[in-house]
Amino acid sequence: MRASGEIDHHSAEKIKQVVEKEIKRTSAVNVAFDFGCVTFMDSSGIGMLIGRYKTVTALGGTMIIFDANEQIKRLMNMSGLTRLVTVSETLQKGITQMNKIRSAQI
Amino acid sequence: MRTNNKMRLEIPSKSENERFARTVCAAFILELDPTLEEMSEIKTAISEAVTNAIIHGYDGNDGTVLINGEIEDRTVTYIIEDSGCGIRDISKARQPLYTEKPDSERSGMGFSIMEAFMDTLTVESEENKGTKIIMTKRLSDNA
Repeated sequence: MRASGEIDHHSAEKIKQVVEKEIKRTSAVNVAFDFGCVTFMDSSGIGMLIGRYKTVTALGGTMIIFDANEQIKRLMNMSGLTRLVTVSETLQKGITQMNKIRSAQI
Repeated sequence: MRTNNKMRLEIPSKSENERFARTVCAAFILELDPTLEEMSEIKTAISEAVTNAIIHGYDGNDGTVLINGEIEDRTVTYIIEDSGCGIRDISKARQPLYTEKPDSERSGMGFSIMEAFMDTLTVESEENKGTKIIMTKRLSDNA
């Protein structure tokens, strides 16, 4: 899923609804967020991402966030989100990283 | 060089004004030639303070958020005020990950971010009267 623009309290609720709807529609359990076009995010965005993490893990899936800018990566580090989800530079690197973690868990 | 400047912004407590408020506050320091990181930190801290006023202060009800900014030398001060419900226990509210709205997907990081991204943070609040957040940041010397 590709997000764009600024993610704050105002936009987070809309993004939440779109993502939840898409997860139901596609029956996807693994979700990757392309943050390449997200220019700003505050703690409302962190709350929204943690909420989606809970959704996908309840379905047995996992989450990747890739191509986020430094400001967003700093917030994700501060919140501990980077310990929950795979944060990577590209989608491919994220999938490789996720597969490694899964193999280690088996 | 000593630069003095002031700004005052009064906005209705609507979530669509969060972006407007942080953009105006970040633009206020442009004359000081801030780094991109400083701009980003100020935008984020203001966004947290204004969101706090809208979500917690007014709890979605109509109200006014007042932002005053002041530049003295290379130090910028922002004061974000609401006349909402106030904070009962400020020290508890400032604890990392604490939220009074656990069902609303709030991360409870607002005050932690303001503290981390600004140099000083003061919170004054009185129940049923409102909250005042005072933040300062000294910008690096680029010249």
